[in-house]
Amino acid sequence: MPEELQRDPVSRAQFLLMGAMGTFIGAVLTIPPAVYLLSPSIKVLLQGESDVPGVWRRLGSVFEIPGDEPKLYRVEFPQRQTYDARTGEGRIVNAVLVSWRDGNVPEILGDRGAGELSDSEVEELSRRLNVLSNHCTHLGCPVRWLPDRGEILCPCHGGIYSINGEHLAGPPPRGLYRYDFEVRGDGGIYVRHEFDGTPYVV
Amino acid sequence: MISRLRARTSEAGRSALEWLEDRTSIVSMTEKFLYEPVPTRGKWLYTLGSATLFLITLQFISGILLLFYYVPAADHAWDSIYYIMSEVYFGQLIRGIHFWSANVLVVVIGLHAFRTFFSGAYKAPRELNWVVGVLLLFIVTFLAFTGYGLRWDSEGFWAYEVGMKIGSYSPLIGDWVITFLLGGDTIGPGTLSRLFAIHVWLLPAILAPLIGVHLFLLRKHGEFGAEFEYARRLARLRENRRMREYAREEEETERGER
Repeated sequence: MPEELQRDPVSRAQFLLMGAMGTFIGAVLTIPPAVYLLSPSIKVLLQGESDVPGVWRRLGSVFEIPGDEPKLYRVEFPQRQTYDARTGEGRIVNAVLVSWRDGNVPEILGDRGAGELSDSEVEELSRRLNVLSNHCTHLGCPVRWLPDRGEILCPCHGGIYSINGEHLAGPPPRGLYRYDFEVRGDGGIYVRHEFDGTPYVV
Repeated sequence: MISRLRARTSEAGRSALEWLEDRTSIVSMTEKFLYEPVPTRGKWLYTLGSATLFLITLQFISGILLLFYYVPAADHAWDSIYYIMSEVYFGQLIRGIHFWSANVLVVVIGLHAFRTFFSGAYKAPRELNWVVGVLLLFIVTFLAFTGYGLRWDSEGFWAYEVGMKIGSYSPLIGDWVITFLLGGDTIGPGTLSRLFAIHVWLLPAILAPLIGVHLFLLRKHGEFGAEFEYARRLARLRENRRMREYAREEEETERGER
C-alpha cells in the first residue's frame, strides 16, 4: 500500500516527454513571429546589412568650403527600407556639415578657385577636411553652427561641439559622427552613408 | 390627463425593462457596473478612473474614424492629415477630439495614479490592481508618444527620433530596441509602418484586456476606504472599546469585592 502511494502518477519519461513537447510547441508558436518582427534588427546587427547601399554622392568642391565656418550640404541617398532592390528604391535626405580642420583653409588651396589636384594635395586636403553628420550624438536632434561663438550647438539639450565636431560640453557622449568621404582629383567631395559609429536615425 | 399619461408611460417603460431584465439581466448588470461605493471624503477624486475610461473610449472611437482617411505611408501620412483637417467634413472636430482627449487623458490618468497612491489604495489586497494600473499608465504614455510620431511632421518626426535614441541607451539591448523601432538602421517608410502597427494595433490590443482586468479587480476588492470598509473598521473599534470597558468593570468589581 505505501509503495502504491509513493508511486508518481506521471513517470519520469512521461514528464520529460511532456516538457519536450511543450518546449517544441512553444518554440513553434513564438519563434516565427519574434524573428519576423526582429527581421530588420537581425539584418542590421547580425548580418551587417544597411538600408542604404554604399553609393558615393557628390557634395560640392573643396574650393567652396570657407575658412571660418562649416558649409551645410543636403544630400540624397537611395534607401531600400521596405523596398526590395527589384521593386524600386526610396530616398533618404541627410544634412552634412563640411569645414576645414580648426577653421583654417589649407595653404595649398591659396586663391585657387578650381583646378586639378595632385595625389599629394588630395591626401593633404582629405586630412584637413571635417565631413560631419548634423545629428547630435546625444538624442539625434539637428545641430547648428553659431557664428558668434564659433561652435556647433544642439538646441535640444545644449550639447556643444567644436568646428571639428569634437564634444566640448553638454550631455552628448561623443563628438559628431563623421561621414566616410573622399576628395577626388577635380576637387569634388564625395560621401557615402557610412560613419565612424552607428548614428542610426540619420 | 397628463399625470395619467405619465403613469402609463412609466408603466410601459418599466414593463419593457422587466422584459429585458428577464431575458438578459441587463438592468441588474448595469446597476452592478455603474454603482460602486466610494469614501465620502474626496469623493470627486474617485471619478478620475471613470474619466480615464471615458477618455480612452473617446480615443478608440475618434481613432477608428481617423483611420478612414489616414494613410500610413511616409510620403502620404502628413498629406492625409492635412486632408482630414482641410477637406473632410468635421475632420477638424474628429481630429481635435482625438488630439485633445489624448492630451487630457495623459493628465487625468496621472491624477488618477496620484490619487491612488496618496489615498493608499495600492495596499493589500489591491497590489495587483496597482500593478495593472501602472502598466496601463505606461501603455497610455506609449500610445501618446507613438501617436505624436504618426503625424510625420517636423515636430512629431524629431520627437520620435529623440524617443528612439533614448531607447537606444537601454543597457545590452539598446541596438535591438532602436533597430526594431526603426525597422532598419535609418528612419524611413518602415519606421512609420511600425509606428502605425504599434499605435493602432499592438498597444490597444494590450490595453483593452488590461482595462477589463483593472475593472474586475476594482469590483472584486472595492474602492479602498469605501463606506463599508469604514463601517467595518468602526464596528471593530467599538467592539475593542467595549471589551476594554468590560475588562475594566470586571477589574473594578473584583477590587470592590475584596
